[in-house]
Amino acid sequence: MRTTSSLKLSWVRFTSCSGCQLMLLNCETSLNELARIVELDAFPLVSSAGDRSEPVDIALVEGSLSTPEEVERLLAIRRHSRLLVAVGACALNGGINALVKGERRSCLAGIYGEQSAGWDSFPPQPVHHFVRVDWQIPGCPPERRELLESLGSILHGGWPGRQLMPVCMECRCNENRCLLVEDHAPCLGPITLAGCNASCPARGVPCEGCRGVVPEANRDELYRLLLETGLSVQEIQHRLERFGGTPHGQADR
Amino acid sequence: MARLIVDPLTRVEGHGRVELLLRDGRLDDVKVRLLESPRLFEALVTGHRYDAVPELVCRVCAICSAVHKLASLQALENAMGVTVPPTAAMLRELLLLGEHLQSHVLHLFCLILPDLREVPDILMLLKQGDPLAVGGLAVKAFGNRIQEIAGGRVIHPVNPVFGGVAYRPGKDELETLAVELERWQRDWPELAAGFEQAGHYPAAGTALGSAIATGLADSFALSGELLWYEPSACAPVAEYVRLLGERSRPETYAKDAAGASGPFLVGALARNRLAAARGVPVGRLADGLGIHANNLAQVREVDWILQRIGQLLDALLGNAGTGPLRAGPVAVRGGKGTAVMEAPRGLLVHHYVVDEWGTVVAADIVTPTAINQRVIAAQVLADLADEADPARMRQVTERIVRAYDPCISCAVHLLPASGDGA
Repeated sequence: MRTTSSLKLSWVRFTSCSGCQLMLLNCETSLNELARIVELDAFPLVSSAGDRSEPVDIALVEGSLSTPEEVERLLAIRRHSRLLVAVGACALNGGINALVKGERRSCLAGIYGEQSAGWDSFPPQPVHHFVRVDWQIPGCPPERRELLESLGSILHGGWPGRQLMPVCMECRCNENRCLLVEDHAPCLGPITLAGCNASCPARGVPCEGCRGVVPEANRDELYRLLLETGLSVQEIQHRLERFGGTPHGQADR
Repeated sequence: MARLIVDPLTRVEGHGRVELLLRDGRLDDVKVRLLESPRLFEALVTGHRYDAVPELVCRVCAICSAVHKLASLQALENAMGVTVPPTAAMLRELLLLGEHLQSHVLHLFCLILPDLREVPDILMLLKQGDPLAVGGLAVKAFGNRIQEIAGGRVIHPVNPVFGGVAYRPGKDELETLAVELERWQRDWPELAAGFEQAGHYPAAGTALGSAIATGLADSFALSGELLWYEPSACAPVAEYVRLLGERSRPETYAKDAAGASGPFLVGALARNRLAAARGVPVGRLADGLGIHANNLAQVREVDWILQRIGQLLDALLGNAGTGPLRAGPVAVRGGKGTAVMEAPRGLLVHHYVVDEWGTVVAADIVTPTAINQRVIAAQVLADLADEADPARMRQVTERIVRAYDPCISCAVHLLPASGDGA
């Protein structure tokens, strides 16, 4: 690990909503400091500079992959990046994009018509299906704190602390009302990776699981509790697979 | 025929490319290609329950996530005959204003200002301590705080839910916003002045396209039941399919829209022109300005946004803030509903068909950048007619595209609400 004072960085985006990179721009009060420690190789949303060919210290990769051209770009990025960090739900497990059901050709034809017959695309896949991933930053969107912490730790030659507990624990620490048990609301806090300080449940909004599934999740017990909320089996399935339970996702690997 | 490719377009949201086709060294044709991979939102929302769909479709785009969520909620509420209580409607509008403020300021200070200063990015300006860049970021942060308080988080807001909103922001939180608002009502004009000088922008012909936007008859607004379009006409929102005449084109993964009399123009400039035409102006702009006036129209709109945020905060801190947050119990029923709203970068349409069990069976979303796609190409062609220097062609093309504040991840969207006769 190097400990020099600047990081040469690329931000690479595949199929996504751009929310992960916007979140970095949303760190308004830290951008000044970021400007001092980061040298942009390529970050098309932010900068018109960048030669896009040099080896970089760190590539932040957002989005899932759904075309052969995207996979080729990803492989090239892996080759010229010392570290590759996957950012956000789409990059980590396919995200919302991966929820499309049904045969891809007919889905494309249904939306875009016959012209789509020549388009080469496949069901969206997470980054780790193709290349080695050195670090992951979860969330839809990711937390500002985690983006900055990761860059800061890497700059100083280390890794940030790894979060392994569920959102549920953050609710306990903050003494939030339990939406699942007390209100029978379909909260996914018990199996969702913490790190957001349970911001949605703290406002009375049930967790939708956007940070992905925690290791050793007790899915059976959550499933039983979700049945008690009055949701149908299909609705529970939809809710559980929204972030992290899809057949393409790492959660099931 | 020679070809100049501008790829990737930088300092715009999403992945797009412009192809300039030259004949004898002069520009002959322009193709704007929106290169996002197809995301098939239409296919992924069908089969989901009505109240889950807004949580999915806000992920079409991050910078417009609030307006996608709000437009989808309103369309679904229309489909099922649900009316949102006034307090909830105010909180939703506050969220929308926060999004517009954040997005306009992001566009002006992070994406456009580097052009005016002739540097590659805002990080460079921050290193130089540029006061306009520093001030702009502070306003941007204010827009985000509004979104966090009214929406629960800055991207993909969680507060708007079917039938209303989930929580009431704390009085102390709204009071903090009111205090900060005073600062920006005082300091905004000085920051805004940085975008006024015409010399900063490339020479350009008149902005092309027939403006189309929603809004109210008697005041400027970011949502409404009518579509206003040039020259001086209006139609109910259900007419959007006929008006926008959407169709797919082979070179792009987004669909574009062509008006009967040439391409439509959407966004801040379109809103500004239409508001002036119906007698509810939102800041004056000179006539016959080029497309870079879209930046000025955003500046003017920020004046209005700040004023409107003040009105809403006053109301929410008074009695209006204590009303119910959710409509009563929902009687699930089938139906179809349409809603139009102004995204920061222009007109957004959401349309859904729901079956009698509350499952969404068809969806249609028309996004602003998909509508603008054709007018962007036409504008590049017109403004570069006399240009012979390829390097300058590339540079001016990028700046023209940027002026529209395009959002390309949005533009890859869904259609058609097949066979429901919308």
